[in-house]
Amino acid sequence: MSPRKKNPPAAKAPRSASTKTRSKVKPAAPAPASAAPVAAVAGVESPPTERRRYPRLEPPAPLPMAQLDDYAPIVGRQEIDQLRFLADRLRGRRVKMVNSTAVGGGVAEILNRLIPLMNELEIQHRWEVITGGQDFFEVTKAFHNALHGAPYDLTGDAQEIFLRYNEQNRQRMAFGEDVVVIHDPQPAGLIHSRQPDHGKWVWRCHIDLSNPHPGVWGLLRPLVEEYDTAIFSSPAFSRRLSIPQYLFYPCIDPLSEKNKKLEESSVQDVCDAFGIDRSRPILTQVSRFDRLKDPVGVIRAYKMVKRYVDCQLVLAGGGASDDPEGAAVLAEAQTEAAGDPDVFILDLPPWSAFEINALQSASTIIIQKSLREGFGLTVAEGLWKGKPVIAGAVGGIPVQVIHKLTGMLVHSVEGCAFQIRYLLTHPEFAAQLGRNGREHVRENFLMTSNVKRYLLLYLQLLGAAAPELA
Amino acid sequence: MPSTNHNPARSPFDFQSAAHLIRIGEARADTLGELLEHVRTCSEGSIFEHTFQTLQEHHFLKEGLSNDFAQWALAACNEAALAEHLTAVDVRDFTSIADLRERVIETLEEHLQSNPQARERRSFEPFYFCASELYVMPTGISARTLDEFAEGLSQVPRASIHYHFIDARLRLKLNSNDFSYWLRDSLDLPAMAERFDRIDIYTLTLEDVRRKMIAVLRDQDGNRGRA
Repeated sequence: MSPRKKNPPAAKAPRSASTKTRSKVKPAAPAPASAAPVAAVAGVESPPTERRRYPRLEPPAPLPMAQLDDYAPIVGRQEIDQLRFLADRLRGRRVKMVNSTAVGGGVAEILNRLIPLMNELEIQHRWEVITGGQDFFEVTKAFHNALHGAPYDLTGDAQEIFLRYNEQNRQRMAFGEDVVVIHDPQPAGLIHSRQPDHGKWVWRCHIDLSNPHPGVWGLLRPLVEEYDTAIFSSPAFSRRLSIPQYLFYPCIDPLSEKNKKLEESSVQDVCDAFGIDRSRPILTQVSRFDRLKDPVGVIRAYKMVKRYVDCQLVLAGGGASDDPEGAAVLAEAQTEAAGDPDVFILDLPPWSAFEINALQSASTIIIQKSLREGFGLTVAEGLWKGKPVIAGAVGGIPVQVIHKLTGMLVHSVEGCAFQIRYLLTHPEFAAQLGRNGREHVRENFLMTSNVKRYLLLYLQLLGAAAPELA
Repeated sequence: MPSTNHNPARSPFDFQSAAHLIRIGEARADTLGELLEHVRTCSEGSIFEHTFQTLQEHHFLKEGLSNDFAQWALAACNEAALAEHLTAVDVRDFTSIADLRERVIETLEEHLQSNPQARERRSFEPFYFCASELYVMPTGISARTLDEFAEGLSQVPRASIHYHFIDARLRLKLNSNDFSYWLRDSLDLPAMAERFDRIDIYTLTLEDVRRKMIAVLRDQDGNRGRA
C-alpha cells in the first residue's frame, strides 16, 4: 500500500513557460520526435507543432494476459489455491457470457479479464457481443437512463426495435452451454433461446433498478423472471422477483494497465504531457461524459474550493461505444469550465487505461460525484490506489465508500466542495481513508473475488455443492 | 520458536477456510419498527450475514460499528443510542444464531419502548436483508505441533482465521473458538487457549488477530507463567 504523499513532489522536468501558465494547450515539455501523434484536449484545438504522447491515437499493444499465479502476491497464495479447489469441481463445464459492447464501460473491462482466468481454471468460457444498429443502441441508451429513473416516453416503436434486435441476435447465436450469463438489459431477450431441459440462465444486472421507469421495467421484468437467477451489484439495485437474487460486487483487476502499480516516472510523464502541475493538489474524476456522472457539478464544486485552495481539476473520460449522448455532455462541461486553465477536460480514447491509471495515481483526491450510478468502478480504482475518495451516495458507491472510514459520501455540490476542502487541510485523515479503502478493495472488489463468486454460483446452479448454511 | 510445548498434539489441526455467496433477501426495512419485524422472521443465514459475516467483509477496520444493524441505526436512522446498544451485542457471547437473534430483538424492543416515536420514522435509506451461503473447503494445511500451528496461522487466508476464530462458536456451541479448543483438548495448553480467547476481534483487524495469535504462540515466558 502506498499512502498518499502529504505534499506531492514537484515535477521532475524543468517547468517551461507553458507550464507556468498552466495551459492545457501547450505541453509541459517538448515531446520526443518519435512520439506518436496525440488527440487534442477536449474543446481545444492543438496547433500541429504541439504534440503530446498522451493520449495515444491508436490502441497500444495489449499487455500479456495475467495468469492466476500472478495475483498471489496481492491476495495471497491460499486465495489462489482456493479458486483452484472450487474450479476442480467444475472442470469441463461450459459457460457463455453475452453483453452489448466489447470496449468501453465497466462490464467489458470485467469480462476482458474474467474470461481468460476462468479458461485458465479449465471452465470453458466464451464471450459474445450482440450486434445492433444505431437505432438499437439509441433505444437501449434511453432504456438505460429510464431504468435509472429518468423520464421517458416509451413508444411502441422503441419496444419493437428492442425486441427485434434481440430476436435477430437470438437467431444467429447458439446456446448449448451449461450456464449462460446475460449482462444487462440490452440482450435480456436472448432468454427465449433457453431450452427447458438444458443449461442454467443467469441475468447479471450491472445497473441500479431501485427506481425504474414503470413502462421499461414492465417490458423487461417478464424476460428477467424467465431466468434461473439474477445477480445485482447492490441489494439496493434489486427488485422483488420470483427468482433468487445474489449479490456480486463488480471488481477491478489489480494487474490491469488501469490498476497496476506504476513507476513514479510514468506518472510524472503523463502529467507533464497534459500540463498538469504536481506541485499543487489535483482533484480527479474519471467517468465517461454522462449527465448521471454530473461533470458540471464537479466543476462547480471545484470552483467553490478554488476560492480557498489553489488546486486543479481533471475530468478524464470518453464516450463508450453505446453512449451517443457523450458529446453533448462534454460540451456542457467545457462551457462550465470555460476560461479556467486549471480545469483539464480530457476526452480520452477507450484504450487510455495507462493514462487513467497515471492520472489517478497523481491525484490528491479522487471524486465520483454521480447522481445515479451502477456500481461506480472508478471508485474502487481510486480506493485501490490508496487515494481518499469523495463520492455521491448513490447506487453502489456507499458499498465502497463507508462514510468517514473508507472515504466521504456527499449529496450535493456544496457537500462535495466542503469535503474536498476538509481533506485537503487534513492530510493524515485523508491518508487513513486511503489505507482503509485499499484494504476494502482487496477484500471485496478485486477480480479474484469475482472469480470466486462465479465459481460458487456455478456450483450452486449445477448442484455440484451444497451450502453449509443456507 | 513458539511456546514451551513441543509435544505433538493428540489430533492434528486441519485448517479449513470458507467462501460465501450473498443472497439478496426479499425483506427490507424503512423504519426501525420494520427492522424489528424482519429480524424476528428472517433466516438464520441473514442474522449470520449481518453480524458474524460482516466482520470478515470489513476486517480491516478497527473503528466503526460492529454489525450491520448498528451501522444502519446510526447512519440511516440517526439513532446513536440504539447504535451503541446494538454494537455492544458481541457475537462471542453467543453459541447459536437463535440466541443472537433474541438479543438483537430485545435491544430493538427496549429502544422502541423508550423511544416510541422512532418506530415509524422513515430511515434515510432502507436496510436490505441478505443471507450468507457458506462453503467450507480445506486449505491443505495441517498442524500437529505448535511450530506447525504457528506456521499454518501465518499462511492461511484471512477467511480461515475468521472461520476458525469467529464462526467456530456456532459449530462448537461453546464460548470459544477452534484454535483454543484444539490447544486445550489436543495439547493440554489451557493458559494459551485462554489467551487466544481474550483476543479482541472488535478492536483489531483480522490481520492483527493473526499476528496476536502468533505472538502468543511465541511468547514462551507468558505461556510458561500462565500454564
